[in-house]
Amino acid sequence: MEPELLLGSTLALVLAVVFAPPRAPRANLLTWGLLGLAGMAAIAIAPTLDLIVLILLVLAVLQARLASHRDFATRLRAPVLAVVLLALGLALERMQGPVVLDRFGAVGIVAGLAAAVGLLPYAHEFDPEESLVASPIPWIAFVGPLLAAAVVSRASGVVAADAGDAFGAMLIGLGLLNMLWGAVGSWRTENDAAAWRYSFMSDWGLALCGFGLAIADGRAAALIILFSIVLGRLPLYLWSRQALREKVPTDRPINLVVAAVLAGSAPFAGFPARVLLLRGATQLYWPLALVLAAAMLLWLPGSLRLGRSMGVPRGRQAVGVAIVLALNVLLGVYPQPLLTLAGL
Amino acid sequence: MPSIALLAPVLLPLLAAGVITAFGLGGFNLGRIAAGAGAWAALLALLVVWLPLRSTQELDLGQLGFGSPFQLRIDAVAFAFGLMVLVPAALVLTLQRRSWQAAALGALGVAAAVGAVEASSVVLTALAGGTAATLAVIQLDGEDIRAPRPKWGMLLAAWLALSWAGVILQVRGGTAAYAAVPVSALTPPVFALIAFAGLLASGLVPWRSWPAQVWSRPSLRAAGLVVATLYPLGFYLLVRSYEMGDGRYPHIAFQAVLATWGVVVALGAAARAQSAATRRGFLGEVIPGIGGFALMTVALGTPLGLVAGLITLAFAAAMTGCLALLPDRGGPASLVAIAAAVGLPPALGFGARILGIESTFEAGDFFGFIGVGASIVWVVWMVAGARATGLPAGRGRPAPETSPRVAMAVAVVTLVAGPALAVIQSAYANPAQADVMPFPAGAVSGGLTSMVTVSTVLPVVALFVPLLIIAVLAFGAARSSLIRTQPRPPLFTFPWTGAIDRLRREVASASLPEQYRSLLDLRALESAAAGGRPLVWLASLAALAFAVTR
Amino acid sequence: MAGAAFVAWVGAAIVVLADGRRGQALGLALLAMSLAVLAWPAGMAAGSVAIALGGLIAAVQCWRSGPAAWGIMPAGSTPRLILCIASALFVFWLAASVTSGPDASLRFAVIVVSGLMGARVLMSRDTSVVLTGIAALALALGLASGLAAQSPGPGPAIVGGLIAAGVLFVPAAPIPSAIQAASPAPTDSDGA
Repeated sequence: MEPELLLGSTLALVLAVVFAPPRAPRANLLTWGLLGLAGMAAIAIAPTLDLIVLILLVLAVLQARLASHRDFATRLRAPVLAVVLLALGLALERMQGPVVLDRFGAVGIVAGLAAAVGLLPYAHEFDPEESLVASPIPWIAFVGPLLAAAVVSRASGVVAADAGDAFGAMLIGLGLLNMLWGAVGSWRTENDAAAWRYSFMSDWGLALCGFGLAIADGRAAALIILFSIVLGRLPLYLWSRQALREKVPTDRPINLVVAAVLAGSAPFAGFPARVLLLRGATQLYWPLALVLAAAMLLWLPGSLRLGRSMGVPRGRQAVGVAIVLALNVLLGVYPQPLLTLAGL
Repeated sequence: MPSIALLAPVLLPLLAAGVITAFGLGGFNLGRIAAGAGAWAALLALLVVWLPLRSTQELDLGQLGFGSPFQLRIDAVAFAFGLMVLVPAALVLTLQRRSWQAAALGALGVAAAVGAVEASSVVLTALAGGTAATLAVIQLDGEDIRAPRPKWGMLLAAWLALSWAGVILQVRGGTAAYAAVPVSALTPPVFALIAFAGLLASGLVPWRSWPAQVWSRPSLRAAGLVVATLYPLGFYLLVRSYEMGDGRYPHIAFQAVLATWGVVVALGAAARAQSAATRRGFLGEVIPGIGGFALMTVALGTPLGLVAGLITLAFAAAMTGCLALLPDRGGPASLVAIAAAVGLPPALGFGARILGIESTFEAGDFFGFIGVGASIVWVVWMVAGARATGLPAGRGRPAPETSPRVAMAVAVVTLVAGPALAVIQSAYANPAQADVMPFPAGAVSGGLTSMVTVSTVLPVVALFVPLLIIAVLAFGAARSSLIRTQPRPPLFTFPWTGAIDRLRREVASASLPEQYRSLLDLRALESAAAGGRPLVWLASLAALAFAVTR
Repeated sequence: MAGAAFVAWVGAAIVVLADGRRGQALGLALLAMSLAVLAWPAGMAAGSVAIALGGLIAAVQCWRSGPAAWGIMPAGSTPRLILCIASALFVFWLAASVTSGPDASLRFAVIVVSGLMGARVLMSRDTSVVLTGIAALALALGLASGLAAQSPGPGPAIVGGLIAAGVLFVPAAPIPSAIQAASPAPTDSDGA
């Protein structure tokens, strides 16, 4: 799964840089994007979770040194918490002892993953005025997807069989929490930029549920969702930042199409992911599928709001939006090549 | 015919959308020509694929990636519903001027709806139907964002419910293909999901839902197209369910409940139609009213009921094309359209309704009462139609989007098609019924001039042709200029209508009492949860640790 | 080995309790040496050297930056002291009694150092203190792979050593003037 996500992130970076709005700091975006990609490549090839945790620490320190409204220590808190939790979780899993220790180890890994990405209940502090590269967005939308895929796949070899259920249940629990909070937050919060951040969380909720199901359908759903974050929501957020500052909501057809992409409506990438998730949940425990299906309806109000906040893309940006839409349609209608590539 | 030809009815409108977009970006509006051509070409392709063989044809293009193969199938059901979608869509796309963006979206919507009908499995139908719904919302909002449109959440709920039903079938039965689902896999809960999806997708509710609301928009360009493409899809699911259940729904209670619901839907539409303040208001209720009757008969679970339902749906499709092109003014076009809409003898609607009510009595037991109810509703419709001829026209549509002659022609065709009921039944509805209900017991038969059911023989030509002659003479003798258009009081009002409206207003305006608002202060909650506070993090960690020890 | 684990705790506790550069450098140096000693028998000879070198480089860099004082246990550091002692007791119980296996010292050192350094970073707002904590954390993470049944080799320890050696050299980006003007001067409010 990681090489595919690395490919997706590379494509997202290319899209972000080539089709960035006129006043966006392209060089800055490219430099830090490449640095992030290097870190992600290292994560993808790292053979053990220990190395991934160390790479995560390096990335966190490098990002925290960027100029920002928030101070260095504040920005490092969540990533360092993630590193510590992952490390403690790993250590507990490796010790010989009672089953409860294995479960606590699973808690550490799941909580560490949530803290690394910036998901509830370990959301990173968010400043809407902050530059994109220094903000928590790269964690939740750029590095996070690959990191999560890597952590979950490596953790499956570390987490004891007795704690496997707890591991999956926690992922699903946090997934539901993020789905609900993210969907409601992206709809009700006052600030449009914060609404975008919550919308990332809600998508992550689906991905966590997919990982937590621990069956092929769940993993496939998670992969598609993560791809749609990297190649859909992230570039669209980037291109909406100018309009967010100008605070001019627009109601053109393109805004509705963007809203449909963000809401996971057919034929965009979110739809097959939801279908796969429902299938996975039905296989395991159908009431979960019912809860998921009900929660999936919450995406719409927030997505309509975010779609309107995008303004009317013009020129190069319009081309970028068109490419993102095309990619999402392709992924929505025919995800098989991606899944085959990922061995799912 | 090579099986790849099955793609043509879907691909041709898609191709049209591509051409329209390419030219549109170059500054040329090819909208009407290309979109119309695409829809007509799709219709032609459907005819060419189906008519020579008249047997099921399939095309398998491999896995799509969500447990569903990209498998298209054209059988009698797909053919029937394909016509229901394509004929009115082609009419409105050809005759109404629209921007190239709207034309491209319209062509895409047509492709998606045909894709939903041609899809061989539940999940693929959900994907295509969901796409059609998304495009419908975008078309309607793109035309006029303040005008009424279907609630997006409701449409999404419908297609998500169908997706879920599809994946349950995949998990429990190994497949979601209509023709291959094991009968035992279509359990009551799964069917309930499909029925829920069908009712929501077509807005089949007794209160004023989107098929009625969209006719009150200032412009009916997008509305006509959306009703043409979306409205039949909900019924399509209910018809296909017979195929999955080997000719029946999983429990007879579903038949009773859905048939009753259909009458209630028709009654709701009739009640609103007879109290409409304008002719436009009345015409807006026509499609929901016909839909109610169609639901009643489709859900009966008998071959005759299904045949009647399919003919009723074909009639609804024709009326959709007619109403979308009808101008907001008096004259013969409006008069004929109203006559056709209410099922004046010997119209196609009349024949379909006769068959439908007969089918309820043939079904026996409780269903007979449903037939009685349907008869009463039909009477209300007749009276409402008579009243509507003298109502003020309504808000006045832009003239370029109307085509009174074509609208009148379509209405006339449905009026004179009554005597051809036996032909329509044997060529159009019977094959579809036979596809989904394989057991011949209770099947409708007859030749080109009469229909033979279990209880009776209906010599449609012998009965309806004299009626048609009388109707033509009556229309010729009548002076439509004598009709005075003026506001007219409703025939009756439901006593609880006001109470329902009040309740809805109260629910909509409900708010949390002042003293409790601090408990649900969203800003404070947001600050606590997403403010990056280490104490919250530690508390969460403790909670997780506690949870895993339970 | 038990002695090395104890010294590792002492080093970590000094990093937690000290606000001055000398105190932190001392804690880091003690920590690095003790973790290197613990790494050696865990089959990570090269890793042991990397941890020692990385930790010492970090300690030297730490000695040269930040307030020129020891600053060990300044006024108001009682909560930190309690944290150090309580965590040591708890982790000792965990490593020696709850869990089993031959490498109790390693278990103790990894968990107690990781936990204390995490707490130190979360508590502090001072950049040099946070960086010292991260350097120490990297050393502990490098050692943590030694707990695995099948040792992953010296890779993590070497990477941990490199991070520790380099993290204190990472240049801080200049704070934009607009932000400087809008914000009060940073103060050390590390919870002490």
